[in-house]
Amino acid sequence: MSVDSKSPIFDVKNLSFSTREQDILIDISFKIFHGEYVAIIGPNGGGKTTLIRMLLGLNKPTSGEINIFSKKINKFQEWYKIGYVPQRASLVDTTFPATVQDIVNMGRIAKRKLFSSATKEDKDAVEDAMKKMDIYDLKDKMVGTLSGGQRQRVMIARALASKPEVLILDEPNTGVDINSQRNFYTLLGKLNKQEGITIIFITHDVGVIADDIGRLFTINQKAIICNDPKKMMSCDDMSKLYGVHAHLLHNHKHEH
Amino acid sequence: MEMFEYDFMQRAFIAGIIIAVLASVSGTFIVLRRYSMMSETLAHSALVGVAVGLVAGYNPLWMAVIVAVLSAWLIEYLRSSFTLYSDAVLAIMLSGTLAIAVIIVSLGGAFNNSLFSYLFGSILSVSQEDIVTISLFGSISLGLLLTYSKELYFIAYDEEVAKTSGLKVRFLNYLLVSVSAIIIALSIRVVGSLLIGALMVIPTVSALQYRVGFVKTMIVSLLIALFSVACGMVFSYLFSLPSGATIVLCVLVLFIFSLVINKE
Ligand SMILES: Nc1ncnc2c1ncn2[C@@H]1O[C@H](COP(=O)(O)OP(=O)(O)OP(=O)(O)O)[C@@H](O)[C@H]1O
Ligand SMILES: [Mg+2]
Repeated sequence: MSVDSKSPIFDVKNLSFSTREQDILIDISFKIFHGEYVAIIGPNGGGKTTLIRMLLGLNKPTSGEINIFSKKINKFQEWYKIGYVPQRASLVDTTFPATVQDIVNMGRIAKRKLFSSATKEDKDAVEDAMKKMDIYDLKDKMVGTLSGGQRQRVMIARALASKPEVLILDEPNTGVDINSQRNFYTLLGKLNKQEGITIIFITHDVGVIADDIGRLFTINQKAIICNDPKKMMSCDDMSKLYGVHAHLLHNHKHEH
Repeated sequence: MEMFEYDFMQRAFIAGIIIAVLASVSGTFIVLRRYSMMSETLAHSALVGVAVGLVAGYNPLWMAVIVAVLSAWLIEYLRSSFTLYSDAVLAIMLSGTLAIAVIIVSLGGAFNNSLFSYLFGSILSVSQEDIVTISLFGSISLGLLLTYSKELYFIAYDEEVAKTSGLKVRFLNYLLVSVSAIIIALSIRVVGSLLIGALMVIPTVSALQYRVGFVKTMIVSLLIALFSVACGMVFSYLFSLPSGATIVLCVLVLFIFSLVINKE
């Protein structure tokens, strides 16, 4: 997981985002490389979601530059390489007519060629993603009838079904029980280490995954990037600077 | 049944069956996409086309298709560019276009039964030419909807996630509204512009009560629409009532039935 010299997946230069009333993000620069596991923390309203929405092309930066896989973001086409699980993922409309499998199938749609139906590869990828997220038994259930935590696993399975090279998760664990959370963190670690999937993970639970993550970004208008979260001193100082999560990092560290 | 011995009844039935299929399939996407209000607005815009057609002597159905598609583009442009007040924009266009249509027709001296039949539908008025127009545009529209059904379903579920996974969301949104506009314009012959919105929306909303997956929802919606159109036209014939009104009443009965039997 070392930061190698190959071309980065995300190359962000002097990125700023402001609304009419306020500056949300100011002058943010960083690179994220293949195989990294980056955790993003920061206070509510600090701009974490805004930052990754810009990376995904959903928000236009006020100024600055984003390159994805060495292409300018507006030239980039291969979006299926990036799996995204939004913050509100589990808040789906409960009347929407979709089974678990219907949703996970969506992960394959962008890859599909026109007029072609699902291939063996599609079916395998969908089944595989459902098994990884432990929802295979639920595949014919309507998503509206699932619990919040189960629904979240469905959303993540949808992202995994496209076999992404990068997985971007925006606090996907709100409302998930502790056991499922543990399994989920283990799974993310596995996806990162064994399958080499790059992970960008917005979370408030950074202490628990401290052993897995490579770098820690603290976002609160500005970004502070901690290249070695295991050296608690330096990161702790930074966290203090922003008044966030310092205690969180500490507490969990002692458990290990 | 003696009613099928009449040519006009045969034509009305053929047109009605085609429209039931088109309205319910497009309606499924429209409802899931939360565009129900848009279908009402497009139906009223189509009337402007009818009015121009009646007054200027062009084929009203063709003119309705053209005006409805142009309105659909305008609405989609406004919706995607300005997020605020999109339902207000629809409400304004709805009454605005109806007003324009009425004025054109009044000035042209064509405010008569002919416009009435476009408002509420009429089984007497379906011509051979209408059947050709409906079949031609209808099959293209249905083909496009089915070709892109998975993509449209994904966008209805979550537009932003669909976009980030690489779907051409803008193109597909315009495609959906254009196709819907065409289908709405084609339907006003049989169902009438004031009532077509109901035929697009209610079968899907009824089908949603059964809480089944996407494909099954669409099939249930299609069956409800087919049954309602068939029954509605029979009642229209038997009691000499505007077909749009009898069709919508049938679909409402099925909606209430669906609500009741799916109540927990
Ligand atoms: N399009 C927008 N228009 C106006 N304000 C916005 C917009 N997008 C974000 N903001 C504002 O930007 C700030 C940062 O929001 P953002 O959702 O990025 O924070 P966050 O770090 O993800 O917070 P949380 O931990 O609560 O999810 C908030 O004050 C929000 O109100
Ligand atoms: Mg957020």
